[in-house]
Amino acid sequence: MAATPVTNLESRTTTRLRSLCLSEYLVLALTVLMFAALAPFTPGLGTSANLLNALGYLLPLFIVAVGMTLVMITGGIDLSVTSIIALTSVVGAKLMTSDGGGTPAIIGVLVMLALGAGLGALNGAVITMLRLPAFIVTLASMMFLSGFAVWLTQSKNIYGLPGSFLALGQRLPIAFALTAALGVAAHLMLRRTVFGRWLYAVGQNATAAHISGVPVRAMTFAAYVASGLCAALASVMLTGRLETGSPVLGREILLDIIGATVVGGTSLFGGMGKIAWTFFGVLFLTVLDNALNLLSLSQFSITITKGAVILFAAVLDAVRNRFVVGRS
Amino acid sequence: MKRITSFPLTFVALFGALLCGGCGKSDPDGNTSPPSAPGAKKLNIGVAFETLQTEYWVAGFEAIKAELKKRDITMLEAVADQDASRQLQQVKTFITRGVDGIILVPKDAKTCIPMIRAANEARIPIVLFNRPADKTDAVSTAVVADNRTLTRDTVAYMIEQAKKTGTKHKAMVVLGDLGDINAIGRRDGFEDAVKGNESVIQVVSRVPSEWNQEKAQAGVANALQANPDISFIFTSSDFLFPSITSALKAAGRYKKIGEPGHVILGGFDGDATAYQMLKDGYLDATGVQDVYFEAQQSVQALLDRREGKTVGELILDPGFVIHQGNLNEMAPRMWGANIKK
Repeated sequence: MAATPVTNLESRTTTRLRSLCLSEYLVLALTVLMFAALAPFTPGLGTSANLLNALGYLLPLFIVAVGMTLVMITGGIDLSVTSIIALTSVVGAKLMTSDGGGTPAIIGVLVMLALGAGLGALNGAVITMLRLPAFIVTLASMMFLSGFAVWLTQSKNIYGLPGSFLALGQRLPIAFALTAALGVAAHLMLRRTVFGRWLYAVGQNATAAHISGVPVRAMTFAAYVASGLCAALASVMLTGRLETGSPVLGREILLDIIGATVVGGTSLFGGMGKIAWTFFGVLFLTVLDNALNLLSLSQFSITITKGAVILFAAVLDAVRNRFVVGRS
Repeated sequence: MKRITSFPLTFVALFGALLCGGCGKSDPDGNTSPPSAPGAKKLNIGVAFETLQTEYWVAGFEAIKAELKKRDITMLEAVADQDASRQLQQVKTFITRGVDGIILVPKDAKTCIPMIRAANEARIPIVLFNRPADKTDAVSTAVVADNRTLTRDTVAYMIEQAKKTGTKHKAMVVLGDLGDINAIGRRDGFEDAVKGNESVIQVVSRVPSEWNQEKAQAGVANALQANPDISFIFTSSDFLFPSITSALKAAGRYKKIGEPGHVILGGFDGDATAYQMLKDGYLDATGVQDVYFEAQQSVQALLDRREGKTVGELILDPGFVIHQGNLNEMAPRMWGANIKK
């Protein structure tokens, strides 16, 4: 049977649509367009004070999203990141204040990072060794770690942190330098190293990767360690910014983290994602959130809008997958 | 490939330039409008709430809105969804917009301190509504209910009702989130009232709710199972009453005043649920936060600070106890009764 001929118009439309969906800079372009469209009637949006304020909010979000990107590239998800933020916050704060004998800030930070990596390793070990779904494992660890953080502090915040520690979250140049270093390192790792290629291979087709000699379990494990480490680094900044070790720190930002990663273009199905894309996604959500706040919309409107945007991004992800790899 | 690699680096450079451009000044930015002289233009007040998840906060929000409208002041709103980091950003956004004052309902007494400092640095007056900050060099005024005294008076009324029965009562207290200074005050007020009345009241259960209805329900149900003869319950917030009444109903213990087996019930806040329970005869008393007074005092304190007047660090709302004996008289002042209307 002869195939139905496709008209030139259909072909051009499909090609343009494909180009648009597959463009690396789609989200960035949308961010710039949104900014340009809102700036004329959003008071203060374009001022450097506002942009710096937004940057302060963006940096820790981006850090956690970097870890989430690595996990999602392998086809997984990490729901425990916000609990890791909270637990590392209170453990570090306890150590650095009189409760823990006033440990120097550098030791406190190292302990927080080690704890975050360790908790990520625990997630990774359970997922890879017991072959349990990442969603369930990280959901369980989210609940456990969250409860543990509250129990450890009896719901109380911990104050009186050393100034050298607070600077990590409050001095924007320091926070920016840390974030940029992490972002660039993660970007280069994914783009330039065998490790990075293996991560993609695991996400695209774990079976084929295994047959090809890729250490699938080790890669998956490493991704969760990285996610835990990133969450801990974000915790350092957030704790410093708020001057408080809090057992509920970051509790409400999980959707923002996952949403920003998906909006940026990292696929929920695995095998696709870039640090630059995640940056664009975090930037988009931050500018959106900032603009809607400046417009003094109700929080309900802001939440509904962000939810709609994330849903759109998830649909776009499915469409992109259909175009790229023919996944249904 | 080159373009993809260099683009993130370009972005890093761009942001770095932005950072250097903005960081030279000790104040956030020369674009921030200094607070206007009184009477020069319509004022803008930023109102930042931690949450609007309970009736009390919604009532407080609406009361502030009404008070500002009455004074022809524009309100800019922000709700942080219980995220202190988001609230810090929202307060800084208000500062960027050059608001003339900020009313803040903080998540807790400590995380609000950087927010107060940011407002101080921008020379924008800031008032805390219903939750004070911890002791700090940052300058603000807090308008709060006198949680301890009001709770003590409410529980004292309940104890008087207990004395009339001529029997000793086993008591349960449902505590709030002890990270919240209001919850601590109410706990202390309860203990103050009970002290010296041990012949009438024996506290057998202290349920930690962490301001969570599910936890409260589970805790109350467990306590009733362990002590089936509990006949005196005080809750640190009326919003937990649905959980408590659910547990009481499941145990067959939810009886009206005057009915055999009535459990002496008392609460704090004065919400619509408490009002209905009072009208229906199930609730003995509740301590009411005078949300209209708190809103009026918050706005006034802000305006006074703008004008350079001396304003204390703490303004106390004495509130009042509403019970079966004064329900009709006090209901018009009870914010929960007005929601019902």
